Amino acid sequence: MCTRRIAVVALLVALTLTGSAAFGAAPVQLTFTVWSYSTDVILDNIKKFEAANPGIKVGLQDFAWEKYVDVMTARFVGKTPTDLAYSSDHWLQQWAAANWIVPLDDYFPQVKAYKPDFAPYATEGMTYRGKLYGLPYYADTIIFIYNEEMLKRAGFSTPPATWDDVTKMALAMKEKKIVEYPIMFQFQDITPWYIEVFLSMVYSYKDYRMFDDGLNPTYDREGSAAHKVAQWLVDGMRKHKITNPASLETTEIPLVKAMGAGQVAFAVLPKYNLADLNTPGAHAQAGKFKFALMPGESHGTVGFVRFYAMTKMAADRGTAAREAAWKFLEYFGGRTGTEFVVVKRWALDKGLGFAQLPLYKDAQIRAAINKWGNVTLEEQQSKLARAKEALTPFWGSWSLEFQKEMNKALLGQKSALDALKASAAKWKEMKK
Amino acid sequence: METKGDGGVPSPFLPRMRPVASSGPRYREARYAYATVLPVVLLVALFTLYPFAFALVTSLREVVLYKPWSQPFVGLKNYLDVVRSEFFSTSWQHTLTFVAGAVPLATLLGFGVAHLLNARTALTPFLNVTILLPWAIPTVISGIIWAWIFNSSYGAFNGALYSLGLIDSYLPWLSRPRSALLCVLFAHVWKEVPLTSILYLAALQAIPEELYDAARVDGAGAPAVLRRITVPLVLPTTLIIVVYETMVGIVTFDLLYVMTGGGPAGATSLISYYLYNSMFVAFNFGQGAALAVLLAIALVAFIALYLRLLRSEEIYVT
Repeated sequence: MCTRRIAVVALLVALTLTGSAAFGAAPVQLTFTVWSYSTDVILDNIKKFEAANPGIKVGLQDFAWEKYVDVMTARFVGKTPTDLAYSSDHWLQQWAAANWIVPLDDYFPQVKAYKPDFAPYATEGMTYRGKLYGLPYYADTIIFIYNEEMLKRAGFSTPPATWDDVTKMALAMKEKKIVEYPIMFQFQDITPWYIEVFLSMVYSYKDYRMFDDGLNPTYDREGSAAHKVAQWLVDGMRKHKITNPASLETTEIPLVKAMGAGQVAFAVLPKYNLADLNTPGAHAQAGKFKFALMPGESHGTVGFVRFYAMTKMAADRGTAAREAAWKFLEYFGGRTGTEFVVVKRWALDKGLGFAQLPLYKDAQIRAAINKWGNVTLEEQQSKLARAKEALTPFWGSWSLEFQKEMNKALLGQKSALDALKASAAKWKEMKK
Repeated sequence: METKGDGGVPSPFLPRMRPVASSGPRYREARYAYATVLPVVLLVALFTLYPFAFALVTSLREVVLYKPWSQPFVGLKNYLDVVRSEFFSTSWQHTLTFVAGAVPLATLLGFGVAHLLNARTALTPFLNVTILLPWAIPTVISGIIWAWIFNSSYGAFNGALYSLGLIDSYLPWLSRPRSALLCVLFAHVWKEVPLTSILYLAALQAIPEELYDAARVDGAGAPAVLRRITVPLVLPTTLIIVVYETMVGIVTFDLLYVMTGGGPAGATSLISYYLYNSMFVAFNFGQGAALAVLLAIALVAFIALYLRLLRSEEIYVT
């Protein structure tokens, strides 16, 4: 009897093993969350990744950019299975401090080999407490875009080099009735680009620092670079009336559309928008847009990085999931063979910037950028780019307070300096 | 065998019976009733009492998501911080302004629309369906639609005003504090009127026609009929609508998030927005929970106030 039972069990075990061998082990399923941008390209990249890695399946979930942080917060707090996610230098401190995403160095020591390839501002943007939290999805700079034809019609042959030049040229356009409001910003209270645009303008000054070494705000002092920028913005909207008052309800896409429709001559935008603006047929004014180094004293700007991060949930799933996650990270943000395949594709197809410096030597990339932009100028602007300073866990909530206070100044409810002082007080409160 | 002595007084010589046995059927009935409602009570407790208790406990602790290692008990500190913050007073100001506009408008317009629907014309079946459409559209979608309508560059509202010669150039309605709040209010009322009108329509259709006939025989005009018959008889419905609309008005969030993002300069940041900011932007769940508890108390206070002001039975008597 006993022998028969043992025989049955042995048979079952043998069948299971044979079945596993015949049909292969169940694939590792990874959940990947992104904000909605060219999901068709992402899906195609995933398809290619799955073909190259038959043991891994990737489920994609996408959410609107404006709501991405909220959705991800809810997912992390609610422990909704998420293995890999787009993240940003904006939120790194919060996500890392909350232990939602994990340092890649701790799990994949081989990631260190990639560091020399990355632009310094990008590495800084992905580093928290000395550890690297991701591989770049894209990295880019905030640039100054102008409509060349409008500028010529206003009688100018070269782009503005300082913010005073911008005012002068905008006033000329207004006077010649080329456009009612030559300048427009994306200054809705909650848009994440607001602070990046403001800081880009601040970084265009020589004495650009917003905080001291102890992370105490210095930007609320009279005559600081931030004060100069804030005052310039207030004057543009309230005194010279060259800045569109609808900036306060505007986000990125409506601004790009307004610019493409010829309603805006000057804008400060993430660089990838230039590729979109100059895509033939995409906009009425396509082909007329150029970019100049950020007007100002030093022409500095903000360099930012969006990256692929691995979540704590994935790290806790075990070796198989972690190995699959690394394969994914390396395929999407690192090298496949000798090439940065996915990063290069984003650059060629969509004009996205990159942190992987070796790509600047790629002939295909150089030719592609020159179709809609200027690769030499881009390299020059990238070298002048800086990562945002003082990225603390409360940076995100402070930036919202900052934006709200700045908008009070733009509405004339308080002076530019008072708005800066109010937001600096919030920073001090949060820092406690 | 006797179990009781004279007058129903239990005899000390007889064995004492358990009261349960004497009321057996009633006990069984009660047991059945409790057993029947227990699953529902448990579900309600799970989805309301537990979260509320959890929020209450959270509100007494410092719970900041990016400091997961430390959640000390802080007593009423979160409540004090919330009440003392500048945003608390301004957001309540915006909320009360919003509610003061939304509740009367949604109620009166609903009452008016219900009267039209009650007229029973050939168009009534069609109108009954179309009036519900705004209510059926998800709030986020209606927010996007209204944001387009009020857009400063291509909005239909600007287009209409411009075509009529009422404005010289397109105006940034959502970039000005007052007009932005009005735009959100307008969109909110548009979304809410279908529900209030359907509720009023049901109430109007329940009023016996004989009352109107009798009033007409007595020579009452339309205003008198409205004041003496219709309004008092729809008062219970009005009470429900006012309470519901107040609650909805106070907790409105999605519409303004989509339309204005709480701006410009926080001008459309209602109290619900402050709650969202505390929790999902600052990741301060302790303060967020304190604010949620305060909001719940405020809602209960409003409801109690309405119930006191609009006690329908008293009005029926007069």
